[in-house]
Amino acid sequence: MFKDLNPILHSQLRLAVISILISVKEAEFTYLREKTDATAGNLSVQINKLKEAGYIDVSKSFKDNYPQTICRIPPQGFRALED
Amino acid sequence: MEQENEFSGQESLALITKMINKARRDYLDTGLSALLWGSVITFCSLVTFANHYLDWPALEYVWWLTVAAIIPQIVIVIREGKDRKYRAYEDDLIGGIWISFGIAIFLLAYIVSVYHVAEPAPLFLVLYGIPTFATGYARRFRPMLIGGVACWVLAIVSHYTPYPYTMLSLTVAAQLAWFIPGLIIRKCYLKAKAQHVQRS
Repeated sequence: MFKDLNPILHSQLRLAVISILISVKEAEFTYLREKTDATAGNLSVQINKLKEAGYIDVSKSFKDNYPQTICRIPPQGFRALED
Repeated sequence: MEQENEFSGQESLALITKMINKARRDYLDTGLSALLWGSVITFCSLVTFANHYLDWPALEYVWWLTVAAIIPQIVIVIREGKDRKYRAYEDDLIGGIWISFGIAIFLLAYIVSVYHVAEPAPLFLVLYGIPTFATGYARRFRPMLIGGVACWVLAIVSHYTPYPYTMLSLTVAAQLAWFIPGLIIRKCYLKAKAQHVQRS
Protein backbone atom coordinates (compact mmCIF):
# COMPACT_ATOMS: atom_id res chain seq x y z
CA MET A 1 0.00 0.00 0.00
CA PHE A 2 1.20 3.54 -0.76
CA LYS A 3 2.02 5.88 2.10
CA ASP A 4 0.10 9.15 2.42
CA LEU A 5 1.69 12.19 0.85
CA ASN A 6 3.51 14.64 3.08
CA PRO A 7 1.04 17.42 4.08
CA ILE A 8 3.25 19.94 2.28
CA LEU A 9 2.21 18.22 -0.96
CA HIS A 10 -1.50 18.42 -0.19
CA SER A 11 -1.66 21.63 -2.20
CA GLN A 12 -2.44 21.00 -5.85
CA LEU A 13 -0.01 23.64 -7.00
CA ARG A 14 2.87 22.38 -4.85
CA LEU A 15 2.26 18.82 -6.01
CA ALA A 16 2.09 20.03 -9.63
CA VAL A 17 5.43 21.85 -9.26
CA ILE A 18 7.07 18.77 -7.75
CA SER A 19 5.62 16.54 -10.51
CA ILE A 20 7.08 18.78 -13.22
CA LEU A 21 10.45 19.01 -11.49
CA ILE A 22 10.61 15.21 -11.20
CA SER A 23 10.30 15.01 -15.01
CA VAL A 24 13.03 17.53 -15.79
CA LYS A 25 16.48 18.29 -14.43
CA GLU A 26 15.69 21.95 -13.77
CA ALA A 27 13.08 24.46 -14.84
CA GLU A 28 12.68 28.22 -14.94
CA PHE A 29 9.97 29.92 -12.91
CA THR A 30 8.27 31.04 -16.14
CA TYR A 31 8.12 27.44 -17.37
CA LEU A 32 6.49 26.27 -14.12
CA ARG A 33 3.99 29.13 -14.34
CA GLU A 34 3.16 28.24 -17.93
CA LYS A 35 2.63 24.56 -17.13
CA THR A 36 0.62 25.04 -13.94
CA ASP A 37 -1.43 28.05 -15.13
CA ALA A 38 -0.83 29.61 -11.72
CA THR A 39 -0.40 33.28 -10.97
CA ALA A 40 3.16 34.49 -10.41
CA GLY A 41 2.37 35.51 -6.82
CA ASN A 42 0.80 32.23 -5.81
CA LEU A 43 3.48 30.17 -7.50
CA SER A 44 6.19 32.19 -5.83
CA VAL A 45 4.63 31.56 -2.39
CA GLN A 46 4.27 27.81 -3.01
CA ILE A 47 7.82 27.52 -4.35
CA ASN A 48 9.09 29.20 -1.19
CA LYS A 49 7.17 26.70 0.93
CA LEU A 50 8.66 23.79 -1.01
CA LYS A 51 12.09 25.34 -0.66
CA GLU A 52 11.68 25.78 3.10
CA ALA A 53 10.57 22.15 3.38
CA GLY A 54 13.76 21.08 1.57
CA TYR A 55 11.98 19.62 -1.45
CA ILE A 56 13.46 21.99 -3.99
CA ASP A 57 16.46 24.23 -4.58
CA VAL A 58 15.92 27.70 -5.98
CA SER A 59 18.69 29.69 -7.63
CA LYS A 60 18.32 33.25 -8.83
CA SER A 61 20.42 34.90 -11.51
CA PHE A 62 20.13 37.29 -14.47
CA LYS A 63 19.58 36.33 -18.10
CA ASP A 64 19.70 39.10 -20.72
CA ASN A 65 19.25 41.69 -17.93
CA TYR A 66 16.09 39.97 -16.66
CA PRO A 67 15.89 38.11 -13.35
CA GLN A 68 15.82 34.35 -13.78
CA THR A 69 14.67 31.87 -11.15
CA ILE A 70 15.62 28.24 -11.66
CA CYS A 71 14.09 25.43 -9.60
CA ARG A 72 15.32 21.88 -9.23
CA ILE A 73 14.89 18.95 -6.87
CA PRO A 74 18.17 18.34 -5.01
CA PRO A 75 19.23 14.80 -4.00
CA GLN A 76 17.90 15.34 -0.47
CA GLY A 77 14.60 16.47 -2.02
CA PHE A 78 14.31 13.14 -3.83
CA ARG A 79 15.11 11.33 -0.59
CA ALA A 80 12.39 13.34 1.19
CA LEU A 81 9.92 12.42 -1.55
CA GLU A 82 10.79 8.75 -1.19
CA ASP A 83 10.19 8.81 2.60
CA MET B 1 -4.52 26.00 -10.10
CA GLU B 2 -5.09 27.95 -6.93
CA GLN B 3 -6.66 25.26 -4.71
CA GLU B 4 -5.19 24.58 -1.30
CA ASN B 5 -7.76 21.98 -0.22
CA GLU B 6 -6.83 18.40 0.47
CA PHE B 7 -7.62 16.01 -2.32
CA SER B 8 -7.88 12.27 -2.69
CA GLY B 9 -5.07 9.86 -3.59
CA GLN B 10 -6.60 9.31 -7.01
CA GLU B 11 -6.76 13.04 -7.67
CA SER B 12 -3.13 13.37 -6.61
CA LEU B 13 -2.10 10.59 -8.96
CA ALA B 14 -4.09 12.13 -11.82
CA LEU B 15 -2.43 15.50 -11.23
CA ILE B 16 1.07 13.97 -11.09
CA THR B 17 0.43 12.09 -14.36
CA LYS B 18 -0.99 15.19 -16.05
CA MET B 19 1.99 17.34 -15.08
CA ILE B 20 4.58 14.72 -16.08
CA ASN B 21 2.85 14.37 -19.48
CA LYS B 22 2.72 18.15 -19.90
CA ALA B 23 6.46 18.37 -19.29
CA ARG B 24 7.18 15.44 -21.62
CA ARG B 25 5.12 16.83 -24.48
CA ASP B 26 7.42 19.82 -24.80
CA TYR B 27 9.87 19.82 -27.64
CA LEU B 28 13.32 20.71 -26.49
CA ASP B 29 14.87 21.74 -29.76
CA THR B 30 13.75 23.69 -32.75
CA GLY B 31 14.65 21.01 -35.31
CA LEU B 32 17.03 23.42 -37.03
CA SER B 33 20.17 21.35 -36.33
CA ALA B 34 18.64 18.24 -37.89
CA LEU B 35 17.42 20.28 -40.87
CA LEU B 36 20.83 21.92 -41.30
CA TRP B 37 22.80 18.65 -41.35
CA GLY B 38 20.13 16.84 -43.35
CA SER B 39 20.37 19.56 -46.00
CA VAL B 40 24.17 19.84 -45.99
CA ILE B 41 24.82 16.08 -46.31
CA THR B 42 22.07 15.74 -48.94
CA PHE B 43 23.56 18.61 -50.95
CA CYS B 44 27.17 17.38 -50.68
CA SER B 45 26.35 13.78 -51.58
CA LEU B 46 24.14 14.79 -54.54
CA VAL B 47 26.80 17.19 -55.84
CA THR B 48 29.45 14.44 -55.51
CA PHE B 49 27.15 12.04 -57.37
CA ALA B 50 26.52 14.58 -60.15
CA ASN B 51 30.21 15.44 -60.32
CA HIS B 52 31.03 11.87 -61.24
CA TYR B 53 29.47 12.70 -64.60
CA LEU B 54 30.25 16.44 -64.72
CA ASP B 55 33.88 16.09 -63.61
CA TRP B 56 34.32 19.66 -62.42
CA PRO B 57 37.47 19.87 -60.24
CA ALA B 58 36.02 22.63 -58.03
CA LEU B 59 33.13 20.41 -56.92
CA GLU B 60 35.57 17.92 -55.37
CA TYR B 61 35.83 20.32 -52.44
CA VAL B 62 32.09 20.35 -51.75
CA TRP B 63 32.49 18.33 -48.54
CA TRP B 64 34.29 21.31 -46.98
CA LEU B 65 30.77 22.68 -46.65
CA THR B 66 30.39 20.36 -43.63
CA VAL B 67 33.19 22.30 -41.92
CA ALA B 68 31.54 25.63 -42.79
CA ALA B 69 28.21 24.32 -41.42
CA ILE B 70 29.74 24.19 -37.94
CA ILE B 71 29.32 27.99 -37.69
CA PRO B 72 25.50 28.05 -38.13
CA GLN B 73 25.38 24.96 -35.87
CA ILE B 74 27.11 26.88 -33.07
CA VAL B 75 24.68 29.80 -33.57
CA ILE B 76 21.70 27.38 -33.37
CA VAL B 77 23.03 25.77 -30.18
CA ILE B 78 23.58 29.16 -28.49
CA ARG B 79 20.12 30.44 -29.51
CA GLU B 80 18.38 27.25 -28.41
CA GLY B 81 20.20 27.43 -25.07
CA LYS B 82 19.02 31.01 -24.55
CA ASP B 83 15.38 30.21 -25.36
CA ARG B 84 15.31 27.04 -23.28
CA LYS B 85 13.22 27.30 -20.15
CA TYR B 86 14.13 23.92 -18.71
CA ARG B 87 16.72 21.20 -18.98
CA ALA B 88 15.83 17.54 -19.30
CA TYR B 89 17.86 14.76 -17.69
CA GLU B 90 18.95 13.37 -21.05
CA ASP B 91 20.16 16.74 -22.40
CA ASP B 92 23.79 16.39 -21.27
CA LEU B 93 23.91 12.78 -22.38
CA ILE B 94 22.59 13.51 -25.87
CA GLY B 95 24.82 16.59 -26.16
CA GLY B 96 27.84 14.45 -25.26
CA ILE B 97 26.89 11.82 -27.84
CA TRP B 98 26.60 14.41 -30.65
CA ILE B 99 29.87 16.14 -29.70
CA SER B 100 31.70 12.80 -29.72
CA PHE B 101 30.03 12.01 -33.07
CA GLY B 102 31.23 15.33 -34.51
CA ILE B 103 34.80 14.63 -33.39
CA ALA B 104 34.66 11.01 -34.64
CA ILE B 105 33.33 12.00 -38.06
CA PHE B 106 36.14 14.50 -38.68
CA LEU B 107 38.74 11.99 -37.44
CA LEU B 108 37.25 9.39 -39.77
CA ALA B 109 37.36 11.84 -42.69
CA TYR B 110 41.04 12.47 -41.91
CA ILE B 111 41.87 8.74 -41.61
CA VAL B 112 39.97 7.97 -44.82
CA SER B 113 41.96 10.60 -46.72
CA VAL B 114 45.32 9.54 -45.23
CA TYR B 115 44.79 5.84 -45.98
CA HIS B 116 43.04 6.51 -49.32
CA VAL B 117 40.07 4.30 -48.44
CA ALA B 118 38.44 3.46 -51.76
CA GLU B 119 34.84 3.53 -50.61
CA PRO B 120 34.32 5.19 -47.22
CA ALA B 121 30.51 5.64 -47.43
CA PRO B 122 29.65 2.50 -45.37
CA LEU B 123 31.96 3.67 -42.56
CA PHE B 124 30.32 7.09 -42.46
CA LEU B 125 26.85 5.54 -42.55
CA VAL B 126 27.64 3.26 -39.60
CA LEU B 127 28.77 6.34 -37.68
CA TYR B 128 25.70 8.40 -38.73
CA GLY B 129 23.44 5.73 -37.29
CA ILE B 130 24.89 5.82 -33.75
CA PRO B 131 23.90 9.32 -32.48
CA THR B 132 20.69 9.27 -34.52
CA PHE B 133 19.52 5.99 -33.00
CA ALA B 134 20.70 7.04 -29.51
CA THR B 135 18.78 10.34 -29.72
CA GLY B 136 15.65 8.61 -30.98
CA TYR B 137 15.96 6.03 -28.20
CA ALA B 138 16.54 8.56 -25.40
CA ARG B 139 13.79 10.94 -26.57
CA ARG B 140 11.42 8.11 -27.58
CA PHE B 141 11.24 9.74 -30.99
CA ARG B 142 10.44 7.06 -33.55
CA PRO B 143 11.43 8.95 -36.75
CA MET B 144 15.03 9.18 -35.48
CA LEU B 145 15.02 5.56 -34.35
CA ILE B 146 13.97 4.58 -37.87
CA GLY B 147 16.55 7.01 -39.31
CA GLY B 148 19.33 5.41 -37.23
CA VAL B 149 18.38 1.91 -38.34
CA ALA B 150 18.10 3.16 -41.96
CA CYS B 151 21.71 4.43 -41.77
CA TRP B 152 22.93 0.96 -40.76
CA VAL B 153 20.86 -0.77 -43.45
CA LEU B 154 22.20 1.70 -46.01
CA ALA B 155 25.75 1.02 -44.75
CA ILE B 156 25.30 -2.63 -45.76
CA VAL B 157 23.61 -1.64 -49.04
CA SER B 158 26.38 0.80 -49.96
CA HIS B 159 29.01 -1.88 -49.24
CA TYR B 160 27.61 -3.80 -52.20
CA THR B 161 26.95 -0.72 -54.33
CA PRO B 162 29.50 0.73 -56.75
CA TYR B 163 30.58 4.38 -56.65
CA PRO B 164 28.95 6.93 -57.32
CA TYR B 165 25.70 5.22 -56.26
CA THR B 166 27.02 5.03 -52.68
CA MET B 167 26.49 8.80 -52.65
CA LEU B 168 22.79 8.19 -53.12
CA SER B 169 22.86 5.99 -49.98
CA LEU B 170 24.29 8.99 -48.12
CA THR B 171 21.52 11.19 -49.56
CA VAL B 172 18.80 8.78 -48.44
CA ALA B 173 20.44 8.40 -45.01
CA ALA B 174 20.65 12.19 -44.53
CA GLN B 175 16.98 12.53 -45.44
CA LEU B 176 15.75 9.67 -43.23
CA ALA B 177 18.03 10.29 -40.26
CA TRP B 178 17.99 14.08 -40.06
CA PHE B 179 16.02 16.02 -42.64
CA ILE B 180 12.63 14.29 -42.24
CA PRO B 181 12.88 13.99 -38.41
CA GLY B 182 14.02 17.64 -38.42
CA LEU B 183 10.91 18.66 -40.33
CA ILE B 184 8.71 16.76 -37.87
CA ILE B 185 10.46 18.33 -34.85
CA ARG B 186 10.23 21.78 -36.45
CA LYS B 187 6.52 21.36 -37.12
CA CYS B 188 5.85 20.26 -33.52
CA TYR B 189 8.02 23.08 -32.17
CA LEU B 190 6.24 25.76 -34.21
CA LYS B 191 2.85 24.31 -33.24
CA ALA B 192 3.80 24.37 -29.53
CA LYS B 193 5.15 27.90 -29.90
CA ALA B 194 1.94 29.09 -31.57
CA GLN B 195 -0.14 27.57 -28.77
CA HIS B 196 2.07 29.30 -26.21
CA VAL B 197 1.63 32.66 -27.95
CA GLN B 198 -2.15 32.16 -28.06
CA ARG B 199 -2.26 31.44 -24.32
CA SER B 200 -0.09 34.42 -23.32
